[in-house]
Amino acid sequence: MLSRDAEHLYWLSRYVERMENTARIINVHSELMLDFTGSQSAGWKPIISSVDSNKLFRKSYSKYSETTAINFLGDDKNNPNSIISCLHKARYNAKSVKDDLPRSSIEQLNNLFYEFSDGMTSTSKRKRASLVYDVIAGSQRFFGIISDNFSRGYEFEFLRLGRFIERVDMISRIIDSLCIKKKEAYKHDYPTLEWISMLKTLSAHEAFRKKNRGEIEKADVLLFLCKDDNFPRSLYRCLKILERSILTLPNNKDVSEIITKLSNKVNRSRIETYRNDKLHLFFEDLEMRINSLDEKIHKYYFHNHL
Amino acid sequence: MKFSWNNYSTTTFDEYVTPQRRLRVHSKKIGTFLKSLSLKELNEINTATKSVIQSMGISFRVFSDDDYEGQDRAWPLDFIPRIIRQKEWSEVEKGLKQRVKALNFFIEDCYNKKSFLKESKMDESLILNSSAYKKYCIGIKLKFNVWAQICGSDLIKAEDGKFYVLEDNLRVPSGVSYMLENRMIMKKVFPELFLQYGVTSVDAYPTKLYENLASFSYSRSKKPEIVLLTPGVLNSAYFEHSFLAQQMGIDLVEGRDLIRGNDGFIYKKTIEGLLKVDVIYRRIDDDYLDPECGNPNSVIGVRGLIKAWQEKKVAIINAPGCGIADDKAVYAFVPEMIKFFLNEEPIIKNIKTFLMKDKNDRDYAEINFKKMVIKPVSESGGYGIVIGKDCSKSEQNSTIRKIRNNPGNFVAQPLISLSTAPTYCGKSLEPRHLDLRPFILSGQHQYVTVGGLTRVALKKNSTIVNSSQGGGSKDTWIV
Repeated sequence: MLSRDAEHLYWLSRYVERMENTARIINVHSELMLDFTGSQSAGWKPIISSVDSNKLFRKSYSKYSETTAINFLGDDKNNPNSIISCLHKARYNAKSVKDDLPRSSIEQLNNLFYEFSDGMTSTSKRKRASLVYDVIAGSQRFFGIISDNFSRGYEFEFLRLGRFIERVDMISRIIDSLCIKKKEAYKHDYPTLEWISMLKTLSAHEAFRKKNRGEIEKADVLLFLCKDDNFPRSLYRCLKILERSILTLPNNKDVSEIITKLSNKVNRSRIETYRNDKLHLFFEDLEMRINSLDEKIHKYYFHNHL
Repeated sequence: MKFSWNNYSTTTFDEYVTPQRRLRVHSKKIGTFLKSLSLKELNEINTATKSVIQSMGISFRVFSDDDYEGQDRAWPLDFIPRIIRQKEWSEVEKGLKQRVKALNFFIEDCYNKKSFLKESKMDESLILNSSAYKKYCIGIKLKFNVWAQICGSDLIKAEDGKFYVLEDNLRVPSGVSYMLENRMIMKKVFPELFLQYGVTSVDAYPTKLYENLASFSYSRSKKPEIVLLTPGVLNSAYFEHSFLAQQMGIDLVEGRDLIRGNDGFIYKKTIEGLLKVDVIYRRIDDDYLDPECGNPNSVIGVRGLIKAWQEKKVAIINAPGCGIADDKAVYAFVPEMIKFFLNEEPIIKNIKTFLMKDKNDRDYAEINFKKMVIKPVSESGGYGIVIGKDCSKSEQNSTIRKIRNNPGNFVAQPLISLSTAPTYCGKSLEPRHLDLRPFILSGQHQYVTVGGLTRVALKKNSTIVNSSQGGGSKDTWIV
């Protein structure tokens, strides 16, 4: 397999996954804001922090409001992680390897692109909700078609690597920022409503509820999102998928070592008992290791002829 | 309101109706079907066609002076097919094979014995001074004596209802993927008509192309490593490159994916390391293939590629240097080549071509300017063409001045009225001018596409069919 194709596939699926995650954040948070009358405007700041973009945001916008936040996350071409930017980059990467992908999977991206061409900010709230839903559904159809129609092999594995690295990255960011970075969090625990919204952002609410009923405890949420064996959006499960994927690639010794260490670390930690400062260090370390995994993948597979 | 053939008025040979406005035999079924539709229904079919194209992502890229990166445009397909009868097509097919066979002999001859140049009336300098003539090809012999494995020839149908060759494209002809795509779209739009007509399938092309490419490999391997070399995503034909690579199951590579190894072979960069390449189906012009032989600033080529080709360590298809045979001045000599190399009469006729270098020819063209089309020999894509009857007096004078300043750079041809076919034009069906580009594969055997890509000028009375200049296309049915 061509190194350049592998790189395009890897980034294609990272961008599709990222776009879906962003759409989820918008979706869940727009709904949550409807429950908090009065203080809507303040509510969007932690969302921008969770995607690590406060600096960039303040360059173009003077205040945090629903309109500015949604414009930034959805339509803003200057934000490299906005839905429209992800869509552009996903299509560019898809185009560069189109000869490898099932045609119908690309059609999903094309349709989404045309649907999204007018942007979100200009449409009504109701239409916006359906647009956000279409992004999530489009991304899921994209991966669904891939998993249903695409032969297992290197191409498939690079798509999977990109998708799950992006997912691990997003899960740890969201937990990290929503649990810890918010200052008030030191004073009081989160009310159930906000835990639910975080679980929903990671599409984890229903699965969580099967195991835990009633008022929600922070420890249960952490345990579930980080260490659950069976839920495909838990950190541990994602890392296991990455590990399996890497073992199918050639020359995988160095890369698989990183991922095995990482999944062991998550599994053996007593994360549910961590206080906020320790939790933050834990996630900082995790993000660092994910970055080094990403670097190693580039070094061993994409730029291995230097 | 319904569509009616009574309102359809033609000025030249029309592929659907006779001058008496009767439907021709092969267009009876579809003509009757179209007549049964309301204008609203025609519009609905047009919309349905467009949305199929959009969701399949069929596009091409258009560039302009102030738009360096260009823009993707949806592929323009008119949903009324062009229909040619099998009996007529078989003759055209024979004629194309004959023509390309002679062209290949000619290229090989130019770089080796030069017997045609010595014995014919052709001015030697026309070839030897041409920028398409590559010195590094001199003395090279290729498998099956074939240099232009893939040729796209442009045919037109004139007032007499006969096909003529307008030009041969031997460098990196494009359009074949749109022929295949047009068929896929039409099957979705008009399934019922396919059953009624028994349209011959066009789908064999990618398989035939693959077999052809594989047959040129120098390696003994039964599964040679073949790649398609593209300039990249921004190229106007990138869609086609990607489509063909996918259909053949070969890698689509850019120059930066290839490297010449210390052993002189060409390798591609894979996740497992370097892998030897046997055949390169290149869609890059000669001058950009290798910065060592051509444009030294080329970033889309591969350093040392030409040397590897000369040493027969890799096959390049079409071979470098084969562009000498698709110059518009060389075109004038193709009938002579057919007689010289094959000892046959040309089956498909050329259009009479006047070489502006020749004093008599030039005088004739100047006197008859209003009846002529002036073409620069080195441009393609319909650029630089001057149509005599559309010129003002001052345009005519400035064109004649340009010709006199550099006569070798121009040819003139009588203006031929291209045939028309009904085309959807916003409200109803109107006649629009057509051409046809079939593709001819040459190797141990020859293969001609079933029909080809029909291009249509969407503007009224226009004869410029190039998609980069507002042309459209039609599915071509051989029945």
